[in-house]
Amino acid sequence: MSEQQKYKYENDYKSSEDRNKGASRWSQCRKRGADGILRKSHADEEPGKDQRCSKRSESFTTPESEGPVSRIKNWGDEVEEQEMRTNVRRDFHRYRRRILASDFPQRDRKISSGSSDSRDSRDSKESPAKGDIETDETTLIRRQKQINYGKNTLAYDRYIKEVPKHLRQPGVHPKTPNKFKKYSRRSWDQQIKLWRVKLHAWDPPAEEGSDFQQIEEIDLGEIMDFELDVETTENTESQCSSSNGAAQSLQEDAFMETPKKMMKIEDSDMS
Amino acid sequence: MLPCACAQLTASGNESTNARIPRGSLNMDSAWTALDMETQTMLKTAIKDPKTVDLEKLSNAVVEHSLKDLSFCKDAGRMCYAVVQAEAQKTASSVFRRNLLNRLQQEFIAREETRKRSMQEWVCVVTFICSIFDYIKVNNSPIAALVDPVYDCLFGLAQPDSLMNEEEVDCLVVQLHRVGEQLEQTNSERMNQLFYLLRDGFLLQEDLSSMTRLLLLEILEFRASGWTLSETAHKYYYSEVAD
Repeated sequence: MSEQQKYKYENDYKSSEDRNKGASRWSQCRKRGADGILRKSHADEEPGKDQRCSKRSESFTTPESEGPVSRIKNWGDEVEEQEMRTNVRRDFHRYRRRILASDFPQRDRKISSGSSDSRDSRDSKESPAKGDIETDETTLIRRQKQINYGKNTLAYDRYIKEVPKHLRQPGVHPKTPNKFKKYSRRSWDQQIKLWRVKLHAWDPPAEEGSDFQQIEEIDLGEIMDFELDVETTENTESQCSSSNGAAQSLQEDAFMETPKKMMKIEDSDMS
Repeated sequence: MLPCACAQLTASGNESTNARIPRGSLNMDSAWTALDMETQTMLKTAIKDPKTVDLEKLSNAVVEHSLKDLSFCKDAGRMCYAVVQAEAQKTASSVFRRNLLNRLQQEFIAREETRKRSMQEWVCVVTFICSIFDYIKVNNSPIAALVDPVYDCLFGLAQPDSLMNEEEVDCLVVQLHRVGEQLEQTNSERMNQLFYLLRDGFLLQEDLSSMTRLLLLEILEFRASGWTLSETAHKYYYSEVAD
């Protein structure tokens, strides 16, 4: 981009008359002016940059801008990521301590609830602490998100109230998959799926308002079982995992989120 | 000794009438009553039963009010944290925190224009952001996303033209007293740079008011002694001096 041309665009930027060339502060990033003509100076820019450009403030175009503060991500997302990251790290340290502790003959120590139950530490002979703990943070965070979707349901709430940990029987009672164990991607996703389906046994009894949702969910559950990698919903709602105050819609959203999110991750995660 | 050594540091720009720079008088009551009744009620309910409240609306109301009321800003962070914790514990969600921060981010992005339009509002924005940074923690750590924005605000306040304005200087030193130490722990290099600015301002800017000089000197000394004041220094800056 020649100096002159750059100056010209900055001039246009300031003048309000020449709308076709794009006098708005965002238009400098656009590939075409309002008249449809491709701008030479931005011919080599990807169109995909438009979206990001439009979020940039005026100061971006000047060299003395304040810096890259929160240009793409918003603070809400960033803090949630920070929280997720620190939670996972804390869980990891707890888990490691638990595993290492179980190597010593102090079995009657009460093991608090967390990412895995006491049975895992007994299994530690099969998965010795050193080599077989999942440590990749991206993976752990992704797995934690999937677990969170499941735990954010009414069914889960009712389940943990009804069946205390010491009364849980393997096979009968759903058990949260242990995110720290090494599993393949498909294996993990399948475990999550099965766990979620099992939790449905504790769904709240069908009431007036929830009848419709109940039926929908059961259908989706069956579809999920039979067709592994098929899109089960065309719903394009956003991926945010938090509630909107209403517990019922939370459950539905959470349930519908998982397959979409898993699908999305499958697509984007090629490894 | 400064020529104006007899000048005591009063609560310039602050509501309270102590001779000290109040370290954010942690009086929740004043923060509550500053709000209108509707918001007050929403807040109390949100802490007791977050599910029943429109948290997005509440976070907007809180930010809106903070822009108008400087005394509210100081303790607003604590109140907000109470809501954040209540929501996290009782509903395992973070709608309030997310909306609050995003709204705050908008104010932050628009800070230049805000400052031109209203100095008071600008000072409120800074105070509120720092209050949030001070009170709202994530697993016992400060919110990482706020570190650079807080620094950006403080750098803004440390600019030569801002140092000419006592309202801004007051805000600057108060915030540094409150969050300076934490801020330095998260990024010491930027704190160094900030203090170079303050030192330069103090030494080189000839047209600063004597109060400004005193405030700057105090904060320079405060940081140099590890974010605390020795007793003698405290007496120097904060005692009532007989005329």
